[in-house]
Amino acid sequence: MNNSENNGSQVIVVTSGKGGVGKTTTVANVSCALARMGYKVAVMDLDIGLKKLDLILGLENRVIYDIVQVIEGECTLKQALVKDKRFNHLYMLPAAQTRNKDDITPEQVKALCDEMRKDFHFIFIDCPAGIEQGFRNAISAADKAIVVTNPEVSAVRDADRIIGMLESAQFKDIKLIINRIRMDMVKSGNMLSIEDLLEHLCIELLGVVPEDKNVVVSTNKGEPIILNEKSAAAIAFNNIARRIAGEKVEIPDFSENSSFWSRIKTLFSR
Amino acid sequence: MISIKGINGNLVFNFLPGNFEDYIRFLTQKFSSNPRLFAGSKVVFRGEGLNFLSHEEIAALQKLCLDYGMVLNNNPSSLEKGAGQDVIIYRNIRSGQKIFSEGSVIVWGNVHESAEIIAARDIIILGKLEGIVHAGFYGDKNSIVFALQMAPGQIRIADKFSRAPADYTPKDYPEIAYLEEDTICIKRYVPQENLARLNS
Repeated sequence: MNNSENNGSQVIVVTSGKGGVGKTTTVANVSCALARMGYKVAVMDLDIGLKKLDLILGLENRVIYDIVQVIEGECTLKQALVKDKRFNHLYMLPAAQTRNKDDITPEQVKALCDEMRKDFHFIFIDCPAGIEQGFRNAISAADKAIVVTNPEVSAVRDADRIIGMLESAQFKDIKLIINRIRMDMVKSGNMLSIEDLLEHLCIELLGVVPEDKNVVVSTNKGEPIILNEKSAAAIAFNNIARRIAGEKVEIPDFSENSSFWSRIKTLFSR
Repeated sequence: MISIKGINGNLVFNFLPGNFEDYIRFLTQKFSSNPRLFAGSKVVFRGEGLNFLSHEEIAALQKLCLDYGMVLNNNPSSLEKGAGQDVIIYRNIRSGQKIFSEGSVIVWGNVHESAEIIAARDIIILGKLEGIVHAGFYGDKNSIVFALQMAPGQIRIADKFSRAPADYTPKDYPEIAYLEEDTICIKRYVPQENLARLNS
């Protein structure tokens, strides 16, 4: 681990501005991948009133208490943390579905994260869409930020806005994940390329996740896609997790061939 | 009748000889046609036309300005060149960020799509300009916009605006935008001729 601050633990907020780009999917899969690598990981759902993380992790039936109850003192943090059913080192702090974003403050989130730092290597914060109170709550405690975007102009504009706000909030470590890219469409000139996005957003790339219909299937089942070893998205999320852990993992040159599978095929036909 | 000019963040109303009723009618029509341009501006009255007006008439003209949200500037020394504070920025301006200056703005970086820069005088972008810029915000028609790569959503200079044609492809050389006979023109930046124009 390469982090010096706060006894080696890192608080990472995953944000995007626009909704539906894959923030929660990213949080779920990257945190599972890190937990599988042996790190102690906590995920904190701050999309209060519109929670989804519990569903994607398949833990919806195990939720007893939520983050607002912890903050209001109805239960302890330990009671509210839900242990994952697959990975021993992964815990989730659920959002409250019947409350809203104004019920907690940035200071409270910060205090909660500070309490969690001693028990976890990584704490991921699933940020709600938008730039209002929920966003301010989510970024208050974080050391680093990951901005998720899709290769389309509306998501890129929102990402640019968010990066600007993170820079204003003195974030030094902001990295980009490009989610749901389709190289066949990039090649035919119908989708923004990785280069287009990086040129426009001017931040460091953390990973590129190809469009993969298996993601919908696994989301509906409440199983992280990284458990599906054959999926292109799973490999990408795994690589992202390894980069977060400090490993050097090349970002594959997707553009060489139109799809992931044809790359695999050429690999074997050599 | 009355010429309106932006000088260092002030709107200077230069009264040419005329009569009070015409002044009122002219200003009311000007203000109501573009209230946003005038609201909040600092106003200075000037010109020999004022010599023929009574105190009450001047007060009435001033009240008209106040009614449209303008501020009277009783300190005309700020008309001197360079009085407005220039702003220099060493980063990219991102979507949703807004820069305002009573003088000129210089950006060492790119101006992204849907970012805004508003300046009383010139706007100089040492990078790619994709956002919205408004030079000569108070009406200074000599203001210019310069960018190493010009690809703005919109350019406004004084009270004129123009947007890029739909099939526009950015050039890979620096360009300058300026007003010529109330039309915004963009052309390749050539130091000699542009400096001559700026000094005029």
